Amino acid sequence: MDLLNLAWKNLWRSRRRTLITLAALSFSLMLIQAFHNLSYGVYSAMIDSGVRAGSGHLVVYRHDYLKNRDEKLSFNSHDLVEQIAQIDGVEAVLPRLYLPGLAQSSRESRGVLLTGVVPAAERKINPFLRGLPDDQWLTSLNGREAILGSRLLKELQLKKGHKFVVTMQHSSGELVSEMFRVHGVIKTGIKSVDKSLLLVGRNRAAALVGHLDNVHELAIVLEDQKNDRLVFPQLQELLQLRSDLEGLTWEQAMPNLYNAIRLDYASQKFIFVIMLLIVTIGVVNTLLMSVMERFREFGIILAVGASTARLRILVFVEALLLGLVSMVIGNCLGSLATWYLQTVGIDMRNFISETLEFGGVVFDPILRAGWDVPWMAKISVYLLLLSLLAAVYPSIKAGRISPAAAIRHQ
Amino acid sequence: MALIELKSVTKIYPLGSQEVVAVDDFSLTIEAGEFCVLAGPSGSGKTTLLNLIGCLDLPTRGEIWMDGREVSCADQKALSELRLRKIGFIFQAYNLIPVLTAAENAEFTLMLQQVGKKQRRDRVLQLFSELGLDGLENRKPSDLSGGQQQRVAIARAMASEPAVILADEPTASLDSHASEELLTLMQRLNEEQGATFVFSSHDPLVISHAKRVVRLQDGHLELDQ
Repeated sequence: MDLLNLAWKNLWRSRRRTLITLAALSFSLMLIQAFHNLSYGVYSAMIDSGVRAGSGHLVVYRHDYLKNRDEKLSFNSHDLVEQIAQIDGVEAVLPRLYLPGLAQSSRESRGVLLTGVVPAAERKINPFLRGLPDDQWLTSLNGREAILGSRLLKELQLKKGHKFVVTMQHSSGELVSEMFRVHGVIKTGIKSVDKSLLLVGRNRAAALVGHLDNVHELAIVLEDQKNDRLVFPQLQELLQLRSDLEGLTWEQAMPNLYNAIRLDYASQKFIFVIMLLIVTIGVVNTLLMSVMERFREFGIILAVGASTARLRILVFVEALLLGLVSMVIGNCLGSLATWYLQTVGIDMRNFISETLEFGGVVFDPILRAGWDVPWMAKISVYLLLLSLLAAVYPSIKAGRISPAAAIRHQ
Repeated sequence: MALIELKSVTKIYPLGSQEVVAVDDFSLTIEAGEFCVLAGPSGSGKTTLLNLIGCLDLPTRGEIWMDGREVSCADQKALSELRLRKIGFIFQAYNLIPVLTAAENAEFTLMLQQVGKKQRRDRVLQLFSELGLDGLENRKPSDLSGGQQQRVAIARAMASEPAVILADEPTASLDSHASEELLTLMQRLNEEQGATFVFSSHDPLVISHAKRVVRLQDGHLELDQ
């Protein structure tokens, strides 16, 4: 029999109260872990889809290109693509050329962003393009086939196989035009993209404006998003030889997505803090009631020779045990909930409107959780610390008990 | 050297805006091996005196010495240590810890003294045998009779072999038969083991078993015989 044993037995004096407190702590931990892991899973999928369709996990630009998207700020990628592709953890390097222009059909004209891509590499990575049938995808770097955004196609009143003309400014300043044929249509679900997207082979686009071997962007896609901190320094090292270029992470290249996720995490944190505070008040209440009920008994314990410090430690050990048991149960429940949300997920197809489908490819309407194990461990430790924090006031109360007064207490 | 010495001890309690003198200019010497009763009617200051001797309270004035050491000016930590090492307590309402078994209750002071598990269990089993508690080691206090609970409380008080055992109205919650048995037991422990007992009681049965009776009246010493 020691302090730990006594504390454990004390916890079960009021079985119902202890069970209720344990349930509150465990369920809070479960909810917090499950919700966080769901967000983590959804955001990881969003980031992965976003970076694969967008600028990659890491990206290389000419300095200042990201600020004003000036098409003059292109660069010759030379051997850079091969060198980057050799870095461990890099899945693909996608050279892209972005050219603003005017697309004209026989009936309408619209502003477009002509994107010159390497078809084979792009299709392997970009989730928007995976759904396209083989016969609708670009076949060469030099072809006249073009893939259009669904809205652009509609607004230009074109159909598959129709021809249209794109006019843009040559690097010499002259206006140049080129004829393309509609080969495929993609629907991303993002209005602005579907209204302006025009994909063609990179060499055809480069030749049109006289950029030849130049690109505006090298989008680097990693095998695992978590490796960006390992790969990024190696990329920076490579770029030391190219002072005109800068390497960016996806957070820097896509600040809107990054900030939206951060904002959502921040509001989640706020809710989690409130939940934990409410639970902590519950623990304070349990411990305080337990101390006040044992007022006389604590007096006896002091009378037979226990120090006030030992009495305070006893209250802390009781809180620690409460926290530890909750941590174990909460983690089991949290893991179970995460597993369910990962394997089964939450089907949002009945709730998400068509415009938010993102082509039904990138943003899976079935929300699935991911495992953020370090965060789960961190929040468990917080819960334990909060349980101990909740013991501060009850332990102070216990330490103030006068044995003579407590023994007289009925 | 006396085991316990009270020199002109006064204890005053504040009561609202007034003061109550519970013990007034009281002097007393108790030697080792005594079997002494502090007797007197309710409000005569018996329990206050016992609390002062037991280092549960400090006097307003005067000195208290125990085993050659002045305790009336000691701090709380030193008083806790004194209670742990030198004093055993037996209370009117037994006051065992309900979640612990009889043996664990008896071991409690030894646990506080950080005595090894086996050593304290051996000591408690020996005491249980002497106190007629064989076979009750694993019972919870709620499964014991009043007399058995008070015996466990005696075992707890004696386990660490203190210099003095203080008992506040130990028979108040017992019937006359159980009271007689308990007093005989304590008397035997006093005679055979030399344990020092100081009681507070107004029970004639307790007074009749005492070797020394200190009678109090309104906080003053009325009789010491």
